[in-house]
Parts: sequence; C-alpha cells; structure tokens
Amino acid sequence: MKISKGNNFVLGMIIILIFSAFILTKEEKLKFEIPKGWPKPNYDLKTNPLTQEGFELGRELFYDPILSSDSSISCSSCHLSYTSFAHTDHRLSHGINGLIGTRNSPALINLAWNTSFMWDGGVNNLESQPINPITSKIEMNSSLTDVVKKLNASAKYRKLFFTAFKDSVVNTQKLFRAMALFTGNLISCNSKYDSVMRKEKNVQFTSAEAKGYILFKKNCSSCHTEPLFTNGLFENNGLGMDTALKDLGRMRITSLSKDSLKFKVPTLRNIEFSFPYMHDGRFKRLSEVLKHYTTGVQKSKTLSPILDKPIVLTSDERVDLMAFLLTLSDKAFIYNANYAFPKNNNK
Amino acid sequence: MTQLKLYFIFILFTVLSSRAQKNVGTLIINIHPVFDGKELVLSENAYVNANGDSIYIDTFKFYFSNLCLSGTKPFCEKESYHLIDAENISTLSFTLKDIPIANYSELSFEIGVDSLKNTKGVLTGDLDPIKGMYWAWNTGYIAAKLEGHSKVCKTLHNAFEFHIGGYLQPYRSLRKNKISVGNLQISSTAVNTLELYADAAEWFKTPEKIDVSKINSIVLPNKQSVMMADNYKDMIKFKK
Ligand code: HEC
Ligand code: HEC
Repeated sequence: MKISKGNNFVLGMIIILIFSAFILTKEEKLKFEIPKGWPKPNYDLKTNPLTQEGFELGRELFYDPILSSDSSISCSSCHLSYTSFAHTDHRLSHGINGLIGTRNSPALINLAWNTSFMWDGGVNNLESQPINPITSKIEMNSSLTDVVKKLNASAKYRKLFFTAFKDSVVNTQKLFRAMALFTGNLISCNSKYDSVMRKEKNVQFTSAEAKGYILFKKNCSSCHTEPLFTNGLFENNGLGMDTALKDLGRMRITSLSKDSLKFKVPTLRNIEFSFPYMHDGRFKRLSEVLKHYTTGVQKSKTLSPILDKPIVLTSDERVDLMAFLLTLSDKAFIYNANYAFPKNNNK
Repeated sequence: MTQLKLYFIFILFTVLSSRAQKNVGTLIINIHPVFDGKELVLSENAYVNANGDSIYIDTFKFYFSNLCLSGTKPFCEKESYHLIDAENISTLSFTLKDIPIANYSELSFEIGVDSLKNTKGVLTGDLDPIKGMYWAWNTGYIAAKLEGHSKVCKTLHNAFEFHIGGYLQPYRSLRKNKISVGNLQISSTAVNTLELYADAAEWFKTPEKIDVSKINSIVLPNKQSVMMADNYKDMIKFKK
C-alpha cells in the first residue's frame, strides 16, 4: 500500500491527537506525591487510593450543608480555603443556630501526615474525623443515619458515589473515605520556605528571613519541627487555662494528670492566614504570639521544660523571626482552584 | 485428543478432591440475654443486683469478637466482630463457617474491639460507626453498653448509664476470656449449635460490687470503666 502525502498528514494529525489526549489525561490525573524530603504520610493511602472522582466527591461533600441537620452549615462554614481552611474573625468556631463552640477551628493542612486530630488529639484517623462535627450538637447537629439517608435519597450523590466507587449505595465508609481524599490532599509545600529548601533558582531568604530561620531553629523547631512544622506531640506551651472554658486539652482524652493543659502542636504553615491563634483563639496577631513566648509563658506542672527558661528576643530579632514565619505562606495553596468551592456544582 | 481427555480427567479429579477435602462444618451460636440466669426482659422486668437494689435494664449491647475454638483442629473466625444487642433478635444468632470437622472443648473470645480496628478509620458491617457503638470526640469503639434505671439512682429519670470503651493504656476496655463448651462436635452434615448466656448481672458483681446509687454514669475511659470491664469479663457463659 502506498501512503500519499494527504494520508500522511491525516496520519500525523491522528498521532498528534492521540498523543495530546494522552498528555491531557495525564495532566488531569491526580497523584499523591510525597514532597521531597518529607516523611511518609500517616494516612493509609493504599486502602483509599486517590482518584480524581473520589477527590471531587469529597470536595462536593465538604462544601455541602447537606451534612448538617437543617442544611445550614457545611464544613467550609468553619474551614475556609482562603484562610488555609481555618475560621478567621472568630476566636471560637460558630456552628448550627449560631451556637458557639469551645475551640478555635484549626487550619487544615497536610493532614495526611497527622498522627492525631483535634487540639486534644482525640481523633485517631482522618476518616473518622468528620463524624465529630457532623454529630456534634453545636456544630452540625446531625446523625450518621440521617446523613447516609439524605445522601442515598439524592440522585446527584448516588451518581457521584457511583463514579467514585463503582457503587451508588452510600454508606459511612464510602462517605468518609471520599471526604478523606479531599481533606487528606490539601497539601501545602510551595511556600517561599519550600522553594529555598529545594534550592530553586532565584529564590533566597532575605537577610531578615535568614536570621529569623536561625532563631526559629534555636527556639521553636523542637516542637514546630520541619518540614511539617509540628512534631505531632502534645505540649503545654504556657498559655494558662482560660477560666471560662476550663479546657484541660489532652487530659480530656487520656484522663491522665500529666496531660493537663497539653495541646497538639499545630503546624505553622500558612500561619499568616490562619488567625486567630491557639486552641481558644486568644491571640489575634502573630506579634501577640511572639510576646507570649518571650514574656507571657505561665509556669505550671506540665509546662514544657523547653519553655521553662524564657525565650529572649530583641525587638530586631522579633522582626526577623516574624519575617521567617511569613515565608511559610503558600499562596499556591490558598488560591488552588482544586481546593475551592466546586464551580460545576449543579452537575 | 488423548491429551485433552487427560486434561479433563485431571480437572475433574482436582475438583472432586478439593470437594472431598472440604472437611468443614458450620456452627450456629445463639446468645441468650439473661440476668442471673433468668431471661432478660428489657425495661419491663425488675431484677435484683448484687448490691440488693431493684433495677431495670433498658439497653444491653456489646461486641463479641475474635472467636476461636480450641480442640483437635483449632479454629479462629476471620474478621470476627459481632455486635450483640439484647433488643435486636437478629443479632442474637450468627453462624461460624468453615470450621474443621473435629471435637472442640473451649471457646475463647474478646468483649470489645481490638486496638487495631480502633485506629483503622471507618469500617463496615458490625463495626460501622453508624451502629452507635462509637465515640466521635475520643475515637474508638464502645465495647459494651448497659443502661437502665433504678429508684435508688438520684439522677434524671433515675437512670444509670455505663458506656465502656477505650483502647489505650492504662484504660483499655478489651477483655479476653475463654469458657468450656463441653464436648462440641462439628460435623459437616448435622446442624451444630452452641447456646450461650450473656448475663447482665455480672456487671454488678465481682470483683467490684456496684452500688448504682453511687456509680451510675461511666461514659469515658477511666478507672471506673476499667473496673466495669473487669466485672463483665465473665458475662458469657456456656448454657448446658
Ligand atoms: C462549627 C464549626 C465547624 C464545622 C461545621 C466543622 N469544623 Fe472542623 N473543626 C472545627 C473546630 C473548632 C475544630 C477543632 C476541634 C477540637 O480541637 O476539639 C475542628 C477540627 C477539624 C479537623 C482537625 C484538624 C487537625 O489538625 O487536628 C479537621 C480535619 C476538620 N475539622 C475537618 C472538618 C470537616 C471535614 C468538616 C465537615 C464535616 C468540619 N470540619 C466541620 C470547627 C468546625
Ligand atoms: C514546647 C513546645 C513549643 C515550642 C518550643 C514552641 N511552640 Fe508554638 N505552639 C506549641 C503548642 C502546644 C501550641 C498550641 C497551644 C494551644 O493552642 O494551646 C503552639 C501554638 C503556636 C502558634 C499558634 C498556631 C495556631 O495555628 O494557632 C504559633 C504561631 C506558634 N506556636 C509559634 C511558635 C514560635 C514562633 C515559637 C518559637 C518562638 C514556638 N511556637 C515555640 C508548642 C510550642
């Protein structure tokens, strides 16, 4: 058979088409990648492998008030993408009927690496975490039976569950695995700090940031350990108990007095955006946090020995440390369209 | 052609022999909720506990798990988690499958859910958190629940409530036990059954006699929950 020039052209076009389709699908495909130099995640991704469909279903659920009893509150009511999924403006989170919770809603970042969840570490698995807000009387005030019933009654969700799991019957496992695919893939690894660590071209710390980094390693990183900026442990950082809330932190879970007033060390990634700070949101500004660590630490039996001697920082050093903390801001995370409210909401 | 024939014969042979090797039977386990050996009627009948108080039981639920039979051919059920609920008859009977044909003398089991399953995220079947035997704020399974009321309880609705759970030391709730089951023969033809009592009275007896006027609410892992787990550890009994 002879191939004419015209045929050749068509053939070439077909090849190009096939190739481009390949590249496109490749680009669309989500993949869980461990950023270079990071430890292995704690969440078991083998039993719940990441898929585009599963992630999108998880996102749909995260932004949908269907999970609350009167369809008024969604996860995103308290966890907003542009504040790194924290709840700004409120010291304590606000739930159903405007009821006020007892804790500050934390940023949701790099959760697949968490060894525990909540300020007191009471939740041991990313999948089980949403059961807490969904069934809490002051958060979403619903029940698992109700939520599963509502989702099974929704044609939209039956379709989405089918696309994600090849089975349209909604049960708690599929529901919470889908949600974990979304929350577990909110990964922040593209801050200026990360670029500097990866030795990317043309990215360098300013001299203030560099000095701040040294101060950070000296004073903070034993608890806020790189690269996740948390050691995952429970510590008392000298806040002193809020007398109205009387929150004993980790002790609430373990009933052990050695855990009194200890809270999970939070990540400091995107700390610029996730104010107010601490489990009870007592500090509005980072400058107040630094003031706490230098002059506000209150002694108690369970205070971390690391903070026993006050941290001394000159005012210049405070400026430097602050400059470093701001290098942990990851705009690519905050503005990631994949994490935001789904646009094709009515499919 | 002969090769093909041989091949078929070979297939037939392996199928038959695998059939023949299936020397297994099933065992139906029936659980009878009782109070001191008397049939347990929820909410309606009053019972006298070890402390001498008259009490009513409203809820009696527990995980009966990791069942093993010991005898000439030891057997353990895989993924062995059974939520027993005195209120729900369908939970009071279940079947163990693929037990080697042999004689068995002992049943070992756990009351509660092992720590492995407590950290595995959201599971299905009897371990589905939708079953209500699950704590959300302090994740983990509730091993056993006993709720009821008694005039001696100076609480709202005279209620007492014991939700026993926790998988972390020092307040672990999981309890292992084993009981003699006489001479239990598993055959591949007969319907084999094992009748067991689940005796709620044990919650109040030993090692610690419970006075519900003083101890009437245990809803988190602590010293009291450990004490209660030690008490109910021997609530499963062989009905002769
Ligand atoms: C009413 C506000 C509110 C709602 C609604 C809410 N959360 Fe939260 N979230 C919080 C608060 C407050 C905490 C911290 C709770 C604590 O420590 O006790 C938290 C903690 C978390 C954590 C743990 C983060 C960590 O690092 O430990 C995750 C994950 C999370 N929420 C996801 C969700 C999901 C998913 C939903 C929707 C099902 C949701 N939240 C709904 C307020 C809320
Ligand atoms: C002994 C361990 C420890 C050390 C050292 C430590 N922190 Fe913390 N940090 C914590 C804990 C624990 C919390 C949460 C406390 C709470 O909310 O009760 C926290 C909270 C924070 C927060 C608030 C985060 C949020 O999302 O609300 C910031 C900011 C912070 N630390 C910055 C620093 C800086 C800067 C340093 C060094 C000067 C430092 N920390 C040293 C343990 C430590």
